[in-house]
Amino acid sequence: MAWLPLYLLFWAAVTLYWARVAAVANGGHQTWFSAGHSLPAWVSALVVAGASVSGWVALAVPAEIGAGGFSRPALLQAGIVLALPGVLFFKRLWLIGQRLRLSSQGELLRAYWESEFLVAVSATIAVVFAIAFSGLQLRELSQIAATLSGGDISAEGAAIVLGFILVGYVVIGGMRAVGYLGAIQAALAVAALVGLAAFALIATGGFAGLNAGLQAVATEAGGKLSVAGVIQFTAGIGREAAASHEGTAVASLSLAMALLGVQASPVVLKVVLSTRTPRGIAAGQTWVMAGAFGLAVALLAAVVGAAGYSDPGLAVSGLLARLSPWFAAWVFVGILCGTQLLAGLALLTAAEALVRTLYKPWFHGNLSRRGTVTLAQIAVVLLAVASVLMQALTPVTLSVLGAVALPLASQMITPLLGMTWACWFTRPAVVTGVGFGIAGVLMTEPLGHAVLSFLGLDLPWGRWPWTIHSAAWGLVLNLVVTVLISAFTQRRGFGPEAEEARRFLSETLRLSPRARALRATAWSVALCWAFFAVGPGLVFGNFAFGLPGGTWALGMPSQWAWGLLFWIFGLGLVWFLSYKMEMASPHTTAIPPYEPPARLRRDTPVKERERLRALVLTAAIGFALFVLTAISFGN
Amino acid sequence: MPERTPNIDRSILVFTIWGSLGFLGLGIFLESLARDTWAISAVGVAVIVAAFAAHIVVNAIHGTGFTRGEAALGIGIYGVLGLVFMAGALAGGMTSADYYAGLTLFGTLAIGLLAYLVTRHGLRGAFSQFHVRAADTAARRGA
Repeated sequence: MAWLPLYLLFWAAVTLYWARVAAVANGGHQTWFSAGHSLPAWVSALVVAGASVSGWVALAVPAEIGAGGFSRPALLQAGIVLALPGVLFFKRLWLIGQRLRLSSQGELLRAYWESEFLVAVSATIAVVFAIAFSGLQLRELSQIAATLSGGDISAEGAAIVLGFILVGYVVIGGMRAVGYLGAIQAALAVAALVGLAAFALIATGGFAGLNAGLQAVATEAGGKLSVAGVIQFTAGIGREAAASHEGTAVASLSLAMALLGVQASPVVLKVVLSTRTPRGIAAGQTWVMAGAFGLAVALLAAVVGAAGYSDPGLAVSGLLARLSPWFAAWVFVGILCGTQLLAGLALLTAAEALVRTLYKPWFHGNLSRRGTVTLAQIAVVLLAVASVLMQALTPVTLSVLGAVALPLASQMITPLLGMTWACWFTRPAVVTGVGFGIAGVLMTEPLGHAVLSFLGLDLPWGRWPWTIHSAAWGLVLNLVVTVLISAFTQRRGFGPEAEEARRFLSETLRLSPRARALRATAWSVALCWAFFAVGPGLVFGNFAFGLPGGTWALGMPSQWAWGLLFWIFGLGLVWFLSYKMEMASPHTTAIPPYEPPARLRRDTPVKERERLRALVLTAAIGFALFVLTAISFGN
Repeated sequence: MPERTPNIDRSILVFTIWGSLGFLGLGIFLESLARDTWAISAVGVAVIVAAFAAHIVVNAIHGTGFTRGEAALGIGIYGVLGLVFMAGALAGGMTSADYYAGLTLFGTLAIGLLAYLVTRHGLRGAFSQFHVRAADTAARRGA
């Protein structure tokens, strides 16, 4: 099939064109990391939304619905759930970033919390997104490319080609190329999803035919068109099977908590901090993320998934194989765009975190700007190579690593909450809370199980015990510990940057009397929506518009109709919070940079050498202890 | 470091329009040739015309016309496809649906281009876009 290589070649040329445009605008290396904080607001809105849904919306959501029906209806609310952290955090974090002249999550955490642990966690999350989360999507695309080419292109070969295209534009154009191309990629990804949904409807005989197919399998599918109760106290996947299926209402709620991690991650925050103005945040989160992309998930991705559920031959790869080659190639490039958008952004963020946020301040303080950019470009290449190699050689490890990306990212909600809203969170509380949160995630995910099992410790529970996603286990632990320790450490002070950020936010963002009067309403509406749309109230959705095996009042499964209804309410909620509660409303006044008090320069080269020595020693001792434990108790 | 990026904005929009609508229209048009159905080709042409119109709207928003590169690319593709169509017609392997599909595409685009030129530059101005006088060329050389 000549169409796929032809379209890929065209797309590669487009990426190189934009990489060149970005490189020229960058003036060499000057604005490689953050595009000179000049990304237009509308570009930023599209890139944030596109990166939030990425290739996941066209690959994972249809696959989840195809395999599990509507047993996890939180997926249908992805657009709303993904938008909420942005509504809460983006405006305030942009203001802090602009005031302190910072351009990444790691720098924000260092300045505000003065915690190298949080900085390292942020960098780790970025690396996991770059290598594993994006790698998983690229792997699936490579396999689809191999299928579409009828075996003429191997999956490994496709992965290498796609990796080359990706690395090319990120290395050459940096953040500016990721931003400019990201806007195009986001639009093309949605266009491809529209096309895919249309083809799914044509293949199933229209919307009525699709639902007739669902009706036919409704009774024989083990009740996967509805949620299996509020909660089931099982020992977790791999230890004890749930009655009927794992899709309880609490499973949906905890999945929603995992999705919160996307916009709390360093990857998406990088775009926000590279934007010229916060004027587009409200519109972007409301109309682009929750509106357009939310509808794309709740309706279009659900149509594709439902087609795969009623007929497994109509899963995404099967559907593409049935299309004419020019359409298959067009849809493929669209899905590739979504995947590349997140992957490129994650590669850039991870490289920046490793080189600019960790390596330079710890070990090489006098590294020049050009040297920093060059090292980051090398890091981009190495991370991409690692991802491609893992796709080919260790797909299970890649999958296990990819599974912790979102739950780990959702643990960053606590420090971000402390910086923006909960100013009474203290530094020791947040640091300990994140530590507990990470432990909670790892102990309920195969990654933690595998490591502990290797060391000779078998946990008595499996993955996601009580049908609760690891993100929720981590987040609940994280919040409880943070609140408790904060209560006991209120006398601890903050550093000068944090004090400045708190003062600046409280002076700049004064709520209008109208918004203050609406506070109780906002809490009530948000909690109500969460209860019915993604929480225990989902059990009402099982029968609100007809029982799975009975007559459907709206001609579609009740949970799907319930999901679409609450997507509309959710859009209203995001609009209300963004504009009426002024959480993301436009801010237009100029922000002068903060002038830190003069400090004496320390003898950094000596300290850097000491740190390097300590790092090497710690790594060697840690490795030796790990090997000894594994040899003594491991299996 | 704020900077002006109007042309970048416009270029992003243009790429988005042609990447989504343009390629969708091309796909539908090719589908019509494969299925030998004129009605499908008409839908494809309509989508391509919609992309063309969206491009003009973007130009209007940014207060500009087509760039030299865009004009050259558009006319080049039009010419090459036109040659392929004529070669196919002369070779005689085309069905009547293929023939009418081609005529619809090229006819609509030609009429669309003329309509655009006339509305943008006026009748006389549209003619001047193609008519280069010797005096103009000499003056440009002198400058």
